[in-house]
Amino acid sequence: MRTIWGFFVLSAAVGSAWGQGLSECQNARRHGRLAEAKACYQKLAGSRDPYLRAEGLWALRDFKGANEAFRAAVASQPDNAVYRVRWGRMFLDHAQGQDFSTAADLFREALKIDPKNGPALVGLALIAADNWEQKAAELAASALKSDPKLVEAQELLARMALEDNNPEKARQEADKALAMSPEALDAMAIRATIDWMEDRSDSPWMDRILKINPVYGEAYALAGHFFVINRRYEEGIRFYRKAIELNPDLWEARSELGVNLMRLGREDEARKLLTQCYENGYQSDATVNSLRLLDSYKNYETFRTPKTILRLNKKEAGVLRPYFQAELDRAIATYERKYHMKLNAPVQLEVYPNHEDFAVRTMGMPGLGALGVTFGHVVAMDSPSARPPGQFHWASTLWHEISHVFILSATNHRVPRWFTEGIAVHEETAVSPDWGDRLDPHAIKAIAEKKLLPIAELDRGFVHPSYPQQVIISYFQAGQICDYIVERWGSDRLLSMVKAFSGNKTTPEVIQQELGMRSEQFDTEFLAWLEKRTKTQVENFARWKQGAQQTAKALEAKKFDEALREGAAIRDLYPDYVEANSVYEMMADAYAALGNKTAAVAQLEKYAAVGGRNPAVLKKLAAWQSEMGHKAEAAAALAKVNYVYPLDEDLHRRLGALDLELGRNEEAVREFQAVVGGRPGDMAGAQYQLARAYLAARRKDEAREAVLDALEIAPGYKDAQRLLLELDGKD
Amino acid sequence: MKFAIALLACAAALEAKTFYLTVAGLGGEPEYESRFIGWAKDLESTEKAGGIEGKVIALYGPAATKDNIKAAFRQIGSEATRNDALVFVLIGHGTWDGYDYKFNLPGSDITSFEISNLLDTFPGKALIVNTTSASGASLNQMEKPNRVIITATKSGTERNATVFARYWVEALRDPTADTDKNEVITALEAYRYAQQKTAQFYDSQKRIATEHPMMNDAGKGEGVRDPNPQKGEGRLAATFGLVRFGSAQKAAQNPAKQALLKRKQELEEQIDKLKYQKAAMDTTEYRRQLTALLTDLARVQADIDK
Repeated sequence: MRTIWGFFVLSAAVGSAWGQGLSECQNARRHGRLAEAKACYQKLAGSRDPYLRAEGLWALRDFKGANEAFRAAVASQPDNAVYRVRWGRMFLDHAQGQDFSTAADLFREALKIDPKNGPALVGLALIAADNWEQKAAELAASALKSDPKLVEAQELLARMALEDNNPEKARQEADKALAMSPEALDAMAIRATIDWMEDRSDSPWMDRILKINPVYGEAYALAGHFFVINRRYEEGIRFYRKAIELNPDLWEARSELGVNLMRLGREDEARKLLTQCYENGYQSDATVNSLRLLDSYKNYETFRTPKTILRLNKKEAGVLRPYFQAELDRAIATYERKYHMKLNAPVQLEVYPNHEDFAVRTMGMPGLGALGVTFGHVVAMDSPSARPPGQFHWASTLWHEISHVFILSATNHRVPRWFTEGIAVHEETAVSPDWGDRLDPHAIKAIAEKKLLPIAELDRGFVHPSYPQQVIISYFQAGQICDYIVERWGSDRLLSMVKAFSGNKTTPEVIQQELGMRSEQFDTEFLAWLEKRTKTQVENFARWKQGAQQTAKALEAKKFDEALREGAAIRDLYPDYVEANSVYEMMADAYAALGNKTAAVAQLEKYAAVGGRNPAVLKKLAAWQSEMGHKAEAAAALAKVNYVYPLDEDLHRRLGALDLELGRNEEAVREFQAVVGGRPGDMAGAQYQLARAYLAARRKDEAREAVLDALEIAPGYKDAQRLLLELDGKD
Repeated sequence: MKFAIALLACAAALEAKTFYLTVAGLGGEPEYESRFIGWAKDLESTEKAGGIEGKVIALYGPAATKDNIKAAFRQIGSEATRNDALVFVLIGHGTWDGYDYKFNLPGSDITSFEISNLLDTFPGKALIVNTTSASGASLNQMEKPNRVIITATKSGTERNATVFARYWVEALRDPTADTDKNEVITALEAYRYAQQKTAQFYDSQKRIATEHPMMNDAGKGEGVRDPNPQKGEGRLAATFGLVRFGSAQKAAQNPAKQALLKRKQELEEQIDKLKYQKAAMDTTEYRRQLTALLTDLARVQADIDK
């Protein structure tokens, strides 16, 4: 939630009776006298002074006219930093396409003219804050150094502290803003939000705000922002509603309300609100992209069961549905048992084949959100087809997100980010040890450089990362913390912590209550555990890296014995590495080149067991296992690919055939159903194979239908004809 | 079913010879060189084992020169009759300078105009599968009645190395390419298979597709991406058998089976007619009639195969 307006214009920069007129307009607006403010701005819009005309037109939401007027103002006074800053703020308000980049350019130009221009630094800080960058705080601090009375900068610091889930610091920062100005409305809004988030209904702050500005809906909108980023969507929606009730012209708040209703699956009202924004000239990227996404839903199919709503793109629903439905059902059943609870509404899972569509769902949200995101009972995630094969394990992502649904529900959405993410990461490998993410080189580096955050501050690593990989490291750390708690205190203790967090307790309070120690003590003991657990990898990473490079070189030079020697020497110094050019793969290739298929298979079996998931490698393993007669193992290897990239006709054909050989007839039916669902070029062949699987599974009626489907396409298909006669003979 | 009938008619045509000429051009880099030669060799062996009477010539490596291509056409031309068929496959790099398409060869390149002239020396129907980069530019210059032209790209401006050839070769080896299950893989089936696999390749790799295969067998006009025989596209290609497996053609030569073959053809025509009426029929009634016809057809086929 950006501060839309930016009230603090230096009237001195204008320095005329007109400048006084601008102050009057801003004052009227600031105190909620909107009709008076509008009349005032209309007057300014007719001004001969291009800057004042720009301010007037901007306030009246004539962005095109304002833009031209600002351009004229800057041309008339090229060295006026204020004009550029205000022009930049106008672009922030417009918020479409490249507007933020244009605004940043204008703020930087202003700083070239006046290197200590506080409002320009605030402008850059707001852009950084919009991107959840920690440097926003540094920029705000610099702005305050330039101008210690720059309330907006101080309010931004309060906002960032609260985004970091540090209400105490937020309270202090807000009070500093109030000391600068008793009319610091956003500082009061932060104080009100802290009270509301702590479920205190007797907060005095909103009354104080309304006494200054009786239509200051921005305060409710700011609260809405915090409730949403803390995953308390229903409450966030209620605050956005209050915001636009107080001031129907708060288009950003209206758009946010629409976006959040869409997140919770209330699409009709969302569309109505977003359309209102669009038609009234508020066409921010979030608004436009959300409307486009709503339009694209005609390309989706929805499948309902009593506990689930599954939305899949029509193009791939036929292949994905059986796998996604099965995992969705399995995850819900598992978590119901594990968390001793049942959800009060169906889980809605939306799967997007276009990553850009999924990205619309995560706009404005902190954290990585790269693969999946949960909004209450609604989960949105990338389809396997949204990324190159093998780049992500969709089933692991699904279980991760469904864990959020349960934890958010169990805690009534009162849970710190680190804890819900930590449990979700922990649950991924609880399903199967080869699921989830492995210890990656960034995590090894972070452990070696002691960059992990104290548990009490871990949320900051998710929301405002201070280095590029910190979000990923924070996921890793949170997951490891939950692993540690389960290992030391048992899984029931995690459940107790869930319960404790639902009582609105802070992380240090919960650690003390449930684990019997101060959070600092927990950090010490956890780090000792983690360092012991990762000692080999951390201490030998450089050696491993060098050895892996040598192995690759030897393999390329066809020096297979040398590759095997070096590979064997270093593989287990970092056994978790199963990404491209893993030592397992290189050793398997070397063994295969030397004709030792058994040893090659052993390497790839280890690769798969550790969590290797490149579909091509797993399919190669399966092919070798099949050649060696190890059919069950081959089927198991191919089954793993289903969890990574099921949009592969050849995979389903091969696995279906193996399943039939192994007498796993229902599994074979599922595989051949997937082939048919993928609308292959050879549909007749696919239907025939499905018919065979049905027959093997003693589902004769379905077998007959499938074989007739095959023959409808290819009436002269001899194999299908024989099967039809066989089926008729069996009747 | 029009095309199934046409295929029966083409059974006779399959008794004529098919000449296969495959040329793998200059790779430029060792990786491409070995890839192109590998595909050409695979194609050569598939065509030799393809069950269709004819002659297979493959030129690759230093032998893939313009002179050798001309010599191959001379040899084929001296043996071929108007009932015969030619399958000419070009694998490698192609270029287009805005006017001329050139197939890159060791020594002098060959232009699409020159290729078209060579094709004119062949008396029968011809299939040209130009799998090179920029091959789309050659389509208009080679099109003529009784010719099927397939290109890997839609125009001369798609200049990146292509993967279409890989899937063309695969199509002739993969029984799933035979979508109507008549045990003959036709040019149309192979094209659809390779086109779909090519699209899937780019889609799964999340790469922007730099090749869009096209086909023209009307002898004029532009190529089409998804030929639809109902609209007159791909009809010649649908009767152009490339490889054959099974025993489809043996029965046609057995006088004792003629009555059964006649009954089979009648049933196929009835099924074809019923399928055209599907949209206007009650679903259950359609399925009932279809089941009866398909069962009869299966029984007749079983008798033919005895």
